[in-house]
Amino acid sequence: MMMWMTGAVLFAYAGMLGLCLGLERHYKQVWHRSCPRLWRIGLRSTGWLALLASLALCAKAWGWAMGPVAWFGVLSLAGWVLVMLLSYWPRLAVGLVGALPGWGLMQVVTSL
Amino acid sequence: MKNTFTQSMAWLHTWAGLIFGWLLFAIFVTGTLAVFDKELNHWMQPEIPATQVSQADAARRAINYLQAHEPQAGNWGISLPSERAPGLRVSTGERRHGGGVQLDPRTGEAIEVRDSVGGNFFFRFHFTLDLPRNWGIFVVGALALVMLAALITGIVIHKKIFKEFFTFRPSKGQRSWLDFHNASAVLLLPFHLMITYTGLVIFMLIYIPAGVDALFAGDTRAYFQAQGNARMEQPRGLARQPAALVDVAPLLAQAEARLGPISGLNIRNPNTAAARIEIRPELGNRIALAKGQAMVFDGVSGQLLSDVPEWRAVPLTQRVMVGLHFAQFGGYPMRWLYFVCGLVSCLMIASGLVLFCVKRGRKYASATADVSARRWFRVAEVCNVGFVSGLLLACVGLLWASRLLPVELIQRESWEVRAFFGVWLLALLHAGVRPARRAWAEQLLLTALLCIALVAFGGFEDEMRLGVAACALVLGVLLGLVGWRVRHAQPVQQKARAGRQQEAEA
Repeated sequence: MMMWMTGAVLFAYAGMLGLCLGLERHYKQVWHRSCPRLWRIGLRSTGWLALLASLALCAKAWGWAMGPVAWFGVLSLAGWVLVMLLSYWPRLAVGLVGALPGWGLMQVVTSL
Repeated sequence: MKNTFTQSMAWLHTWAGLIFGWLLFAIFVTGTLAVFDKELNHWMQPEIPATQVSQADAARRAINYLQAHEPQAGNWGISLPSERAPGLRVSTGERRHGGGVQLDPRTGEAIEVRDSVGGNFFFRFHFTLDLPRNWGIFVVGALALVMLAALITGIVIHKKIFKEFFTFRPSKGQRSWLDFHNASAVLLLPFHLMITYTGLVIFMLIYIPAGVDALFAGDTRAYFQAQGNARMEQPRGLARQPAALVDVAPLLAQAEARLGPISGLNIRNPNTAAARIEIRPELGNRIALAKGQAMVFDGVSGQLLSDVPEWRAVPLTQRVMVGLHFAQFGGYPMRWLYFVCGLVSCLMIASGLVLFCVKRGRKYASATADVSARRWFRVAEVCNVGFVSGLLLACVGLLWASRLLPVELIQRESWEVRAFFGVWLLALLHAGVRPARRAWAEQLLLTALLCIALVAFGGFEDEMRLGVAACALVLGVLLGLVGWRVRHAQPVQQKARAGRQQEAEA
């Protein structure tokens, strides 16, 4: 239960980060160079996919009735936290996404 | 009037946002706190022990107590200990709120518990502003409409919703306040719209009674009966025949299997042949708010007399919307989501209010502005401080009052409420006599200090009280940071530059 929720939050954050870095302005803000077009498309589509994954995890945690409600909340808050971090510690904001592989690893380990 | 559509929308957003934003902020803060109303209740009544007693045992003890002390009462009410409310309360009569006796769930003995408005105060204030109930509901409803209007006009006047979706540029004076206001509003827009709209739906029959009036000729009881909420008729004579009460434990188990966790029960006409046992579910077993629902059993034979009614599509829709607002479903993780979303909403409103003054600050601070305009600006400034940081101070003041007022004080609850409004009034006066920036810093830092010092009241052996204290600590530290920032931020040149830049853009 808790693992699904954590995953939902992490995927929502990763998704928002993808969509955010898919914008020229914010890519520059973090990496100080402009973003190749292919990269931009890649970031955006991974972003959307991650948001969908977050929805699926919310539904797993809360069921399909309450899940979407939680999903909107998680998306909004993940986006808000990202915006706040991005302007003060841009690299940290990107680095946080590293928690996602960690979560995946935990999933694999616990399912063994 | 203003020339273009966008300009009139901006005008409406600015002025409605300012004038009604003060009260809207209070409504949002108390609503956010009311997410944890029962936890606050528990914190504010430290005499109630946290225990692990099964509901069946607790119910038996409660009934034993009532048999011993109130055998003749026409109605017994029992609130059972549950995850969020570990107390066991028994009452008689029809009063739904307050009153009653707290029992120790382990022994069934009455315990002395201080009277306290508890977190319920925030809940009540949230939808009535502590006015007489119906007046309050109308005022808050009107404010909710203004909120809705502010949201819509906000969307209209925000020209770059998607382009600036993730944009926040700090330390740039007015630009930063606007960015923050926008980001908090846009990113949480689903929440803002949902919470405001569903808030209106709760009392839709009070706001728009025409439908029920037309269909049921104004007879609201007939309307509720048509929804399947009819109270069962009981032959009068039976209520005078004595009869032994059935054991409630199997009934509780049956109701729990059907409804999920149970919050409490009512026994009408106990110890008579007409006895009826109504068992109520917790509110959070599904999204739709189950307030007022109960399974009814015969109190002598234990037979199920009526099940909870299935709602038809339209009432169900309303119940789901109300449930979305009440946030009782989904357990603690959902509660935290609502709480944090609520906090960001409060920040959004507060930043909008501050933005109003930041934007006009330079214009009115100069000696050239005319006197009455300057005076009005000062009023806005004072109200901003008094209604934002002042309200926060009042809220934490209420928690302090609940612990500091003498336990044996008569009408203790109303003294707590007086303390709340007293602190708020003092904060407004304080804002009136101090320069705005000083007033902000002093009130924010005092609030932070009081929040952090709540930890001193202890109660850490109890998970719920520990949660309240930890949350107060975190909020206190954050408020302290804000206060410190306000105190030490110098009104930089940048501010003027950012302002000019924006004027050039516009």
